[in-house]
Amino acid sequence: MNTVAEKKHRVIEPDSLIGKRIRKMDAPEKASGRTRYIHDINLSGQLHGKILRSARIHALIKSIDTSAARALPGVHVVITAADIPDQRPIGVAKDHFPLKVGRVRSQRDEIAAVAAESEEIAEAALKLIKVEYEDLPVIGDPEDAIKPGAVLIHPEPHGADGTHMHLKQGMSIAHKGKPDNIAMRFDYSHGDVVKGEAESDVVIEDTFKLHYVTHCCMGVSGMIAEFDASGNVLMYSNTQVPFLHKREFAEYLNIDPARIRIIQPPIGGGFGSKLDIYPFEVICLYLARAAKRPVKMLFTREEEFLASPTRQPVLLTLRSGCKKDGTLTFRQVHTLHDNGAYTSWGATTPFVMMQTFSSLYRVPHCDYHTAAVYTNNPYAGSFRGYGNLQATFAIEQHMDMLAQSIGMDPLEFRMKNAQDAGEVTGQGMSFKSCGFKDCIRTAAQRSDFSHKFGENQANQKAPGTVKRGIGMASMLHVGGGAKIYPSDGCGTILKMDDFANVTLITGASEIGQGSETVLSQLVCEELGLPISAVTVVNNDTAITPWDVGVHASRTTFIAGNSAIGAAKKAKAKILAVAAKKFEIAEDYLDLRGGFVIKADSGEAVIELSKLLRNLHFQDKAELVMTTFYYEPPSVHQDKGFKGDVSAAYAWGTQVVEVEVDTETGIVKLIKVTGAHDVGRVLNRLGIEGQIEGGVVMGQGYAFTEDLMIENGRMKNPNFRDYKLVTAPEIPEMDIAFIESMDGEGPQGAKGVGEAPAICMAAAAANAIANATGVRLFELPFTPEKVYRALHGKTPKLYWKPWKAE
Amino acid sequence: MSLKHDIEFTLNGVKRRVQVDVTMNALAMLRDVIGLTGTKYGCGEGECGACTIQVDGVSLNSCLMFAVDCDGREVTTIEGLANDPQADALRDAFVEHGAVQCGFCTPGMVMQADHILHKHEHPDEGCVKRGLEGNLCRCTGYKKIVDAVVACGATEK
Amino acid sequence: MTELKHYYAPTSLDQAVECLKDGDVTILAGGTDLTPQSQAGRIKFKHTLMNIRHIPQLSGITLEGDEIRIGALATITEIMEHPLVKQHLPVLVEACDHFASDQIRNAGTIGGNICNASPAGDTLIPLLVLDARVELASMPEDKLYRHSMPLSTFFVGPGKTRKSLCELVTGVRIPVPAANHVARFYKLGTRPALDISTISIGVAGCLNGGVLSQVRVAFGAVAPTPVRAEQTEQALEGKPLDAATIEKAAAIARDEVHPIDDVRASAWYRKEMIHNITKRILGHVAQA
Repeated sequence: MNTVAEKKHRVIEPDSLIGKRIRKMDAPEKASGRTRYIHDINLSGQLHGKILRSARIHALIKSIDTSAARALPGVHVVITAADIPDQRPIGVAKDHFPLKVGRVRSQRDEIAAVAAESEEIAEAALKLIKVEYEDLPVIGDPEDAIKPGAVLIHPEPHGADGTHMHLKQGMSIAHKGKPDNIAMRFDYSHGDVVKGEAESDVVIEDTFKLHYVTHCCMGVSGMIAEFDASGNVLMYSNTQVPFLHKREFAEYLNIDPARIRIIQPPIGGGFGSKLDIYPFEVICLYLARAAKRPVKMLFTREEEFLASPTRQPVLLTLRSGCKKDGTLTFRQVHTLHDNGAYTSWGATTPFVMMQTFSSLYRVPHCDYHTAAVYTNNPYAGSFRGYGNLQATFAIEQHMDMLAQSIGMDPLEFRMKNAQDAGEVTGQGMSFKSCGFKDCIRTAAQRSDFSHKFGENQANQKAPGTVKRGIGMASMLHVGGGAKIYPSDGCGTILKMDDFANVTLITGASEIGQGSETVLSQLVCEELGLPISAVTVVNNDTAITPWDVGVHASRTTFIAGNSAIGAAKKAKAKILAVAAKKFEIAEDYLDLRGGFVIKADSGEAVIELSKLLRNLHFQDKAELVMTTFYYEPPSVHQDKGFKGDVSAAYAWGTQVVEVEVDTETGIVKLIKVTGAHDVGRVLNRLGIEGQIEGGVVMGQGYAFTEDLMIENGRMKNPNFRDYKLVTAPEIPEMDIAFIESMDGEGPQGAKGVGEAPAICMAAAAANAIANATGVRLFELPFTPEKVYRALHGKTPKLYWKPWKAE
Repeated sequence: MSLKHDIEFTLNGVKRRVQVDVTMNALAMLRDVIGLTGTKYGCGEGECGACTIQVDGVSLNSCLMFAVDCDGREVTTIEGLANDPQADALRDAFVEHGAVQCGFCTPGMVMQADHILHKHEHPDEGCVKRGLEGNLCRCTGYKKIVDAVVACGATEK
Repeated sequence: MTELKHYYAPTSLDQAVECLKDGDVTILAGGTDLTPQSQAGRIKFKHTLMNIRHIPQLSGITLEGDEIRIGALATITEIMEHPLVKQHLPVLVEACDHFASDQIRNAGTIGGNICNASPAGDTLIPLLVLDARVELASMPEDKLYRHSMPLSTFFVGPGKTRKSLCELVTGVRIPVPAANHVARFYKLGTRPALDISTISIGVAGCLNGGVLSQVRVAFGAVAPTPVRAEQTEQALEGKPLDAATIEKAAAIARDEVHPIDDVRASAWYRKEMIHNITKRILGHVAQA
């Protein structure tokens, strides 16, 4: 039994949660099947929404007859563009309407929508809608989109007399069209590539082709929309950016953003797919508005494939040079991005790609150009890594090829050009913490890279049908947010109850990555509490403070610093109260193990919960509630894309080992050795999970996943022929963490969410080249593609560099 | 009007009678008729395993089974397993090993893992990987799921 | 929305074949194919949906004389775990192990796999090289009529067989192989299972002093149905299994198949793989 005297003299030993293996807070619910995802929520009075998509790839809509659908019993609402006169253009470039007006430009295009008593009735109604089309020529290849006289995907409207209509300046592409097929262009340079090339002893140029893949979140897309009696909107949404979308949805509905509330139920996977607003979400709102009933809309898996964004497909020609001593001299990059029919975030991946080209290695002269062009293909969105997988695929193959051409060991070549802390790159990125060389060294040592590289190379021509290969690739990615929007910040509200439990109200969304757990850990570290003392609220715009969203590997860094800020304020208040009460200077006090303690001895002063009750239940009653808003010390890029856009940068090296069966082309991924500069490990269990999941996602990109699009039509919208990696296919994984202790990072940590997927394809390509002497420039490395290449049946890819005028 | 049929079966240890559309699959019956939403729709084609349940002691994709075919049989869903003390160790292993991220595949994974553990006393890594080949996960890269099942098998009994 | 008017779950074979008399019946066994196909509207239900699960005559795996009989309702899991199959038909176990996933193996039936007549059906290739016969039942008058036919003549096209609408597949019969019988199966793919074959190959025969006789070679996913490769068989029949014979047989195999391009592979690659894998398998057989 504890007496008061004993309690007073109790010593609380120091303890820390940082770096420990902390259970994910919502895991027990999820493992019991109790978690309610959007699919599992049903509101009373709810109708079911379904969308009629285009039967054609590129066509004019001549007529739509919905009369039979409207007459079907159980159908409440049928809408087409004609029924929604106030449609506003949506998307990153505001180049389409949720319900398409007069023209369809891709297989996924939305023509009509139904809200009915059941999904079955809604589907039956869709079948009754008659649409007449007039086919237009299809652009299925981005190279065709830039040919002179190419069919325009968004032609400027003509008046009845055939003359151009004069439309108001500032109107969007959806209204006024575009005189060419160029959706976006990016032109960046530092130094003088002509000079760089002149100084080079070796110059190489190659074209690389990156394919379509898609997110394949296990939970299909969906949402529930409801208008209340006063016209306020409640949405259950899977968005990763609730606050940005609140504003955007308001614009699309032509109402005050204050009238929109977004609740985010647990989400069945994100990976960047939920950063844009898609037509189905706006259409669901239209249906709910028209029906005056809640409307739930869920995709089928086939629809998820057909109508979700993809990773940005890229055609890329890279010209690189170096001196005989291994110094990089220049890089020149031209890419053609297949934008698809509309513009989503995929078009903007050059923001990330050019960073890799300009700044992963020290390169004095760099020139980068992208044209994102309209086609009739699916449109590309943001996807974990955001262009970096594509850029790294090209650059890291060239690193091996340059090394080979000057007879230098690829490891030594990389070490010679790798960045160090203190560097400010040509693009203006400032590397305050940088464990890059440690990553290279560690991954190489742990995998016995140099030894195996030489051995495999020597074995290329030896007898035997199975060849082993080892390859390396490295990456640079933002690790301290990315200042793209006016703010890159996150807010926290922290309140403590009279039992010293914390409610952490954060703007940061949880998408399965474990943010709720890591944020709780950081708060507990400040307040000396166990994880069990924290409840996290993170899913309701009516409650949570603003945050820019879950993207750019930013949540641990930005929301973490914000949570720490709120916790520090709470701690200061608590210690001030304790100092006064016990007449001990604040500096001599600390929080630990649920107690206020003496900082030097660890001696307990008072139980924290008791102190909080004292504070609360007194004459001048007070509660401990704090708020904090963290904005990282990064800057916006200037018009030339220069500037220190992130508060910290993450680094990583992955070494991939493969076995190539030269008689079948089957490449077996044996082992991945990774070393990641994560600043500091916060939750070891969580960060391992992020890396392993990312590695396997990168494996899918490199080897198995291929969304096949032929003339705008998707050929494999199912898991049977779109192959995700399955459990028996995963490699052995050896992951090391480099702790560079970033000065700005929460407890020294940097972001890592996207990093592990980035290097895999590049390292795999290098491993296959090491095994066979044959280099592959096009993804994915399916058995047939590899077999063809090994048997000289793959014509050399070449795309002549082209730049939009 | 779609054809209906009355069936009687044991669901998570409780006998029940339910009227279903003859063309409906067992997944739709569990989720939409009975209201147990722990069993997930991932693809509807037996390719992802999110809808895994156990029928007469073996694991199946409920999306590949007619609801009427449950007649007279013994069906266990994740909700049934969640009430089974013997399955606590497995659930705890998933939590302790970090086998859960977004969690959408997790109920199906747990159901299939439970089946593996009933079939193999101490399954090794290879056995567990093969056993889980019909369950897709997009978050974890499978390693921690496999670790959880192997560890659970190693400590059981 | 559907023309389905009747659901029926007979408990005897007589009841089932009587129901089949008018031919307007959709048959449900394991459901692993019918469920998604009908949900997606790719299969239209007929007047009656007949669930054959409760018919005892369709179950079980038994030794009957010099044949192993596998009931149509035997699941892939039951087959691969059955002692008789493990002992006498290891090549069938091998193919079952590459079949879909555990969940589908637990539900999918051999009868269903045969009736689906997929060109890439995993169990069909070993059954072909094992000289399997399909058992059929019907009720032409008022009496149960049962007969069988060689599996090699059963398939007509993708999803099409010689089974009439009034017939029910009740099982499959496989002669117990001789002691010197060898058989191999290979399915090309990057995954152990859960994969539609790019190509699959079955080879069987009796091996006497390095000479292969009663040769059976079958290929999957290279034609509208699983096929026996007769020219390849002839090239091997009675020949010593040396490097020259193997190379010649592999080359004939490549020329004998006429696959198509699809999302899984090109015809060219399939032909290359037929050559390379036939050669590889025969090499393994020669070493056996």
